[in-house]
Amino acid sequence: MAYNSFAYLCVFLPLCWVAWALLPQRLRSWALLAGSLVFYWLMNGAYTLWLLLAAAVTWALGLWLGRLQNLQAETLPTLAPAARKAVKKQYTALQKDLAAAGAVAMVGLLVWLKYLPFAAGALNAVLARLPFALRITAPQFLQPVGLSFFTLMAMSYLFDVRRGSAKPAGKFRQVLLYLSFWPHVVEGPFDRWDQVSPALLDPPRPSYQAVTFGVQRILWGMMKKLIVADRANMYVKAVFDDWTKYSGAAVMLGTLLYTLQLYAEFSGCMDMVLGSAQCFGVPLAENFRQPFFARSISEFWRRWHITLGAWLRDYLFQPVIVSKPMLRFGKWCHGRFGAALGRSLPVWAGLGLTWLVIGLWHGAGWLYVVYGLYYFALQWLGQLAEPALLRVCPALPGLRQRRWYILWQVARTFLLVNLGMLLFRANGLRAALEMLASLARPYTGSLLIKLDARDLWVLAVGAVVLLAVDLLHERGVRIRAALAARPLPLRWAVYCGAMLAVMIFGAYGDNYDPAAFIYAQF
Amino acid sequence: MTLRPWQKNALRIVGFLLVLLMLVLAAGHYLMPQSNRYLEGYTAGGILGEDFDTIDVVVLGDSNAAQGIAPMQWYDSYGITGYTYGAGWLSMYNLYYRLAQIYEEQSPRVVVLCTAPAYSKKSSESYMQSAVGDIADELLPLLRFHDNWKYLNADNLFTEKDYSWRDVNKGYMPITDVSPRTGGDYMYDTGPEEPLPFLVQVYMRRIVQLCRDHGSQVLLVTVPAALGWNLARHNGIAAFAEAEGLPYLDFNLAENDPGIDWSTDTSDGGTHLNWLGAQKVTTALGDYLREHYTLEDHRGQPGYETWDGDAGSYRDARAEIEARVREAAGLTA
Repeated sequence: MAYNSFAYLCVFLPLCWVAWALLPQRLRSWALLAGSLVFYWLMNGAYTLWLLLAAAVTWALGLWLGRLQNLQAETLPTLAPAARKAVKKQYTALQKDLAAAGAVAMVGLLVWLKYLPFAAGALNAVLARLPFALRITAPQFLQPVGLSFFTLMAMSYLFDVRRGSAKPAGKFRQVLLYLSFWPHVVEGPFDRWDQVSPALLDPPRPSYQAVTFGVQRILWGMMKKLIVADRANMYVKAVFDDWTKYSGAAVMLGTLLYTLQLYAEFSGCMDMVLGSAQCFGVPLAENFRQPFFARSISEFWRRWHITLGAWLRDYLFQPVIVSKPMLRFGKWCHGRFGAALGRSLPVWAGLGLTWLVIGLWHGAGWLYVVYGLYYFALQWLGQLAEPALLRVCPALPGLRQRRWYILWQVARTFLLVNLGMLLFRANGLRAALEMLASLARPYTGSLLIKLDARDLWVLAVGAVVLLAVDLLHERGVRIRAALAARPLPLRWAVYCGAMLAVMIFGAYGDNYDPAAFIYAQF
Repeated sequence: MTLRPWQKNALRIVGFLLVLLMLVLAAGHYLMPQSNRYLEGYTAGGILGEDFDTIDVVVLGDSNAAQGIAPMQWYDSYGITGYTYGAGWLSMYNLYYRLAQIYEEQSPRVVVLCTAPAYSKKSSESYMQSAVGDIADELLPLLRFHDNWKYLNADNLFTEKDYSWRDVNKGYMPITDVSPRTGGDYMYDTGPEEPLPFLVQVYMRRIVQLCRDHGSQVLLVTVPAALGWNLARHNGIAAFAEAEGLPYLDFNLAENDPGIDWSTDTSDGGTHLNWLGAQKVTTALGDYLREHYTLEDHRGQPGYETWDGDAGSYRDARAEIEARVREAAGLTA
């Protein structure tokens, strides 16, 4: 049941809301849990067992971690100072082991259900070079929806409990609700337990404003998905699936439209997700912050899929660069290459690993590895080039404040992101390279591929509206709040206009080939 | 009277939904096609162009019906007036609402309900999604015709719609391609029946009830389809027919085989029939209709002049179509 489907918007969501609102306060979190399990069951059937298993393991380990922490807090003050250090060390090691066991279980589940065929393929490619015949056959599973999301959220829960930044859930149903909550189980965002659990477990009273704001956000997401993303998909699919037929302007437009499609679709889905949760008074984490106003690749990734970047920063990059082996590596580099490289090399190693994981998180394939490393290379080269640029142009820091320079930086980042998008969408590495090369070849055919001129106009207007709304957000304008202060006839005209626009200009029905949500496959 | 905040909010929501509904219905009206030719895929919409109460047999179905049953052959041979209301991916939900619309203009004696839509759905959708989507399409024309904004302009926006177009083939879509089926028997015993999805059953019952309310007799028919039909599905429909007390004619069964040769009579490897296959099924179904129902010969009757004219056009085109498909099938004349 997709978030933009009639069944979700007109049946599931209203029914859940009515049930949730009519129930007494103490039962409202039960309503959310029941809705989440029904939603997941409708999408996955028996595969819901994997989600239940992940939640059970997470809950049990979290509870154990909490008890150890309580025990530690009770025991340590009673001990003599000499013994305290040794006992604390024991407790710390035990907690570390428990969190590690949870991480191994979740990564194991992820690898078992998602990455095994890819790993076996890579291993077989190596084994094929050996003089003896050996081949590994990996079992193939249907991947449960949202696997990459709920396993990572389970890990963040355990790590936060282990660090003491979050209190463990006492009841299994609480962890299950956190992992399975239907607005974020399919495409995220990666919500943190301490941020989302208060509203999930003790939901606020139903509020008219929360519902209207939530519905408005869902509507905005629908506009992005149905009018822009699904329409762009027609062109993108034709060009990328039959890439040998196209070159030059056709490939360029295909790439631009894919960037537009992915942004409209993923951020549109997040609007539907956050809007759905807002109707129930649950504030989920924002996943986008006007990414195409970014001035650098690092900034782009702080604005695009924000919660994935934050997850990897907090639970992979930072722990890796302060880990004992990495500190030893830093010392070794310091002795070998000097202070500057001694500082930089461990950071780059951590960054390389993080980008590798980002690539692999998007899919089990070499193309995604290259995709991750592409962004790593851009960031690395940017950092490497910075001192040289400052030497060549000492006025650079001043220039960076100028408007034209900011525009240049935004345009450059946009271009590099588009190249990354081409890599991401192409049907394999070879196709990506050949499509890149084909950009230099002229294209003489019609640019009306699968879309007529009217569709391209709708896309152009859609892109301008997206840009305008992003610009207003960038300037700190709160559009829904501003609209709420207007007279009722104007508000209704805007809402009715938006709803009619979705129904009339949406790319659905027999003439279109709407895409499933792209990030739901991750 | 002072309203409480929640009452005010509820009123506001209801008011907004009413305004929206009116706008949706109005927009749906303006987006409906200018001609009934484009109301539905193939030529199903042509039924609205026929004179009132002239059609005795209405065939309801999807693409299998539209490509497999040629009612003009019945008129040409026996004077029975029939129309095949069929198009790709039409579901039982669609067919219920379309039949209700047909009853506004026609009073068929027999409604032939083809069974393929009972089990067909797009693979990307679940049965529930397909049901909700199709029913919403029927209740809100805006959803069904939304893409027609591309054809609207200042000239045609407010002109009256012309729904007088008639189809010479009476809903049948002649296909001359030949693509043989290579597999063997497809009606072997696969075990128990394939149950009809719950909502499909509900809507099939609604169709049957609608026919009874209008005094039409219902006949369930399965058009031969080597791909997409099997004994389990036959058993599912047979169980429904028995429960409802309806006659059921499955042309896939050996005892009802109209003589389909899967090496020449299909256009796409066994999913749909071509002209040759359609001729055989139409003849067999026509014989059954004549044998089991009292249907008048309307040829030459006053009020059926357009049918006589269309029959002439059908006869004129027939020889050429026949020659084309026989050549494609490698058959000598």
